Amino acid sequence: MAEPTQERRTDYGPPHYEKFLPPIIKKNYGKWKYHEILKPGVMVHVSETGDKLYTVRASSGRLISVDKIRMYCDLADKYCDGYLRFTSRHNVEFLTDKQENIDPLIKDLQEMGHPVGGIGNAISSMVHTQGWIHCHSAATDASGIVKAVMDDLIEYFEEMKLPGKLRIALACCLNMCGAVHCSDIAILGIHRRPPKIDHEKLHKMCEIPNVTASCPTAAIRPATVDGKQSVEIIEEQCMFCANCYTVCPSLPLNDPLNDGVSIWVGGKVSNARHEPMFSKLAIPYLPNNPPRGPETVEAVRGLVELWAKNAKKYERMGEWIERIGWPRFFKMAGIEFQKEHIDDFKHAGLTYKRSTHLTY
Amino acid sequence: MAKTVDEIADAMYKLVKDAFGIKKLKPMDLTKAMMELYEGEVDKKTCKAAIKQLIDSGKCVYTYFGGSYVEIPHKEGSANE
Amino acid sequence: MSDALPKTPKLDELEKGKWPSFVTEIKMAAKKSPMCRDLLGQLEQSYEEKIGYWKHGGIVGVMGYGGGVIGRYSDLPEKYPNISHFHTMRINQPAGWFYNTDALRKICDIWEEHGSGITNMHGSTGDIILLGTTTDELEPTFSELQKIDFDIGGSGSDVRTPSCCCGMARCEWSCYDTMKACYDLTQAYQDEIHRPAFPYKFKFKFSGCPNDCVASMARADMSIIGIWRDDIQVDRAAVTEYAKNGMDIKADVVDNCPARCMDWDGKEIHIDNQFCRRCMHCINVMPKALAPGKDRGAAILLGSKAPIIEGALLSSVLIPFYKMEPPYEELKDLLERIWDLWCEEGKNRERVGEFIQRVGMGNFLEAIELEPVPEMIAHPRENPYVFYEEYFEEDEGEEEESES
Ligand code: HEM
Ligand code: HEM
Ligand code: SF4
Ligand code: SF4
Ligand code: SF4
Ligand code: SF4
Repeated sequence: MAEPTQERRTDYGPPHYEKFLPPIIKKNYGKWKYHEILKPGVMVHVSETGDKLYTVRASSGRLISVDKIRMYCDLADKYCDGYLRFTSRHNVEFLTDKQENIDPLIKDLQEMGHPVGGIGNAISSMVHTQGWIHCHSAATDASGIVKAVMDDLIEYFEEMKLPGKLRIALACCLNMCGAVHCSDIAILGIHRRPPKIDHEKLHKMCEIPNVTASCPTAAIRPATVDGKQSVEIIEEQCMFCANCYTVCPSLPLNDPLNDGVSIWVGGKVSNARHEPMFSKLAIPYLPNNPPRGPETVEAVRGLVELWAKNAKKYERMGEWIERIGWPRFFKMAGIEFQKEHIDDFKHAGLTYKRSTHLTY
Repeated sequence: MAKTVDEIADAMYKLVKDAFGIKKLKPMDLTKAMMELYEGEVDKKTCKAAIKQLIDSGKCVYTYFGGSYVEIPHKEGSANE
Repeated sequence: MSDALPKTPKLDELEKGKWPSFVTEIKMAAKKSPMCRDLLGQLEQSYEEKIGYWKHGGIVGVMGYGGGVIGRYSDLPEKYPNISHFHTMRINQPAGWFYNTDALRKICDIWEEHGSGITNMHGSTGDIILLGTTTDELEPTFSELQKIDFDIGGSGSDVRTPSCCCGMARCEWSCYDTMKACYDLTQAYQDEIHRPAFPYKFKFKFSGCPNDCVASMARADMSIIGIWRDDIQVDRAAVTEYAKNGMDIKADVVDNCPARCMDWDGKEIHIDNQFCRRCMHCINVMPKALAPGKDRGAAILLGSKAPIIEGALLSSVLIPFYKMEPPYEELKDLLERIWDLWCEEGKNRERVGEFIQRVGMGNFLEAIELEPVPEMIAHPRENPYVFYEEYFEEDEGEEEESES
């Protein structure tokens, strides 16, 4: 580990946000009265003081180079007095009190390759995780699928022609760093083969009590293999969660033949109308097929369009499915229902149909 | 007699060193062990200060393997040159 | 020379199409960064072979901190020596993700000099993610960041970098000052962010209203969601205006009210506020006419998490209404009681939500000294096996009663 290089400060925390607020926001902080969506990707907030603040939202793509950030800065200097912000879904937002700046700003953004939109009844940017770019436990890439899916769905980002909001997210393994479990549509990387144990290295790299304790289903037991301290895995008990791999690098699950993605639908976090809901399994497995994962792209578009065509105004994916019922959903989506769709973990019984409210 | 931060840090260091390669210890494991070992002579604040001292002095480091642990500095298995 | 970009026919496919391309971004950075050239090479190989090539590193960091750096090593260091180390740094973002260009440019300069030159703006925790550098560059990067007042965020079993929606800075619905609260708690818990001492991670997220734009319901151990107690504010003239402009108030607003507590008689909207669930739907649809009430604060919920380890949870109500005014004393007291209990009794890698499930909400409330209220539950228990802890004995009970 490198030695400290200067008089060191610690625990000073992030800079105070007030430094970064444009003057018009400082002036109208807490005084906003209402807002309107003027066109895709553009809204205006109107203050009690009569001041107006225009917001232009564009997709950043999430993984960006420092040169791109500098280009954003140039735009912010040109149009927004040197201020900008980002959103919780990896969008970049330019804020200005000058209405005449909106159109030239949009033009510049589009020329830079950053589509403007994601506000109102649209698909916003996908929240996603690292995938093969940075993570050790990824069962699929993240950025590549997101790019392919959003290339395909771009019309729904740039226009507002959906019945309600639609949120798509991707996590590349069951750790679900992006907490995709409450999205209208979630793409989730899955492993399907138990860890391959590296008996040669395990005893050198990992503490066996920590390894056995890591498994939620108690599938891992200490064992001696070829005279070496190691572990064995009861394969029928493995649910491919990769907990053990995070604790011990000698238990890799990554496997090109068996890894892939699953598709989940009907979750939401907002409290608007229906209470928040978890996403539920729609498609148990699709193969990894880089670079563009056509199977996944097609499946997601199918679900988006099915919902868009059939949902009532404002109805989120989950609200729509709850109204029509899951059997109807599977029929309409043309998805074959199979054993994997039925929960068998704790509290699975709560997910069985416990009434005769059936549709035919 | 209340134990000093130095004394606790030394006792913790011994624990961490003895456990190396056998079991990883969390900060809370160390605190609990001290409270048991020196019952009535040490409080959580002292334990916290002792851990900070071990880390700041470089005698121990934090590690992360699905959870955070305190260990003696070493080259980890997955590290490349 | 290795200045040339590696051949990446598969990745090149992802430069086509209208959505911003991460491949283009990495290539842009690769002009200056050998790390990014090797990253392209390794990623192309992953695309060929359908498998990732990273090893998890658990020990790298900056002196004194136990979080904020994600250790990463390439599994193919001979082939891609420049990403032999490729650690990520999490930098605590300013509340609300507002920046001026001066600060952003300085971050860019630092990262171009000390790292790969690629970032995530932002990671899903909310931090600025600086993707990829070597062990030797961690301290120098931190040292540069100190000069511009940016600190490292959390990772590991600690308080993770808190995040919030833009709140009062740009949203009329914000029922408390999310950015102020986020900043205040971030500063108050610097030690807990930087020195992991918990059984597992603990996240805060602050949303200004029940729309919950930062998804705190689903991904924060403590979700602090703005809400109001009194009546929805109605601007009658503006309602009429919406109707006149063609909005079907019955279909769009009234019929979607989950509480069925609204009425529209063709002229005026009536809301029976005692039954309103504060769901935001009507306000979302008519932002000019309706607004949250004036007695504002926040609902405090606890316990959400992704599936690891014991299954996914959503946060559930702990305090139905809290005034959420600085210095947030009662909230901090409560938090510290929760942390004490969880640290004492929580198992390794057990999130607060799982801990509550294990010990039971009733016992948990007793231990943190909070009275149970019906707002905490979706419905009372269905299972009749109640663990009563005390019972009367024939004699004593009578005697005690007669004495009192
Ligand atoms: C055992 C469970 C988990 C493990 C082992 C784990 C591991 C990781 C790792 C290794 C990364 C770094 C990815 C990279 O940069 O290479 C990461 C990032 C992250 N994790 Fe987790 N994670 C776990 C669970 C979770 C959960 C449950 C959440 C949220 C509820 C979460 C939220 C995050 C976030 C927000 C990031 C930043 C990722 C990004 O921006 O893409 N993690 N996690
Ligand atoms: C028309 C009503 C709404 C307005 C004006 C509105 C306003 C906003 C604002 C200002 C942001 C940026 C927040 C930030 O990053 O700090 C935002 C983001 C977000 N809102 Fe809302 N909100 C509305 C309704 C909703 C509803 C009903 C939902 C969920 C069903 C929702 C979900 C989200 C999400 C997920 C984000 C993150 C989006 C992004 O970063 O691109 N919002 N919204
Ligand atoms: S979801 Fe899994 S693979 Fe993806 S970044 Fe998180 S831990 Fe890594
Ligand atoms: S992947 Fe999960 S279930 Fe399977 S052995 Fe590892 S820890 Fe156990
Ligand atoms: S959570 Fe509510 S207050 Fe915060 S930005 Fe979203 S809509 Fe506005
Ligand atoms: S906020 Fe929701 S519950 Fe309350 S009146 Fe409006 S639509 Fe009905």
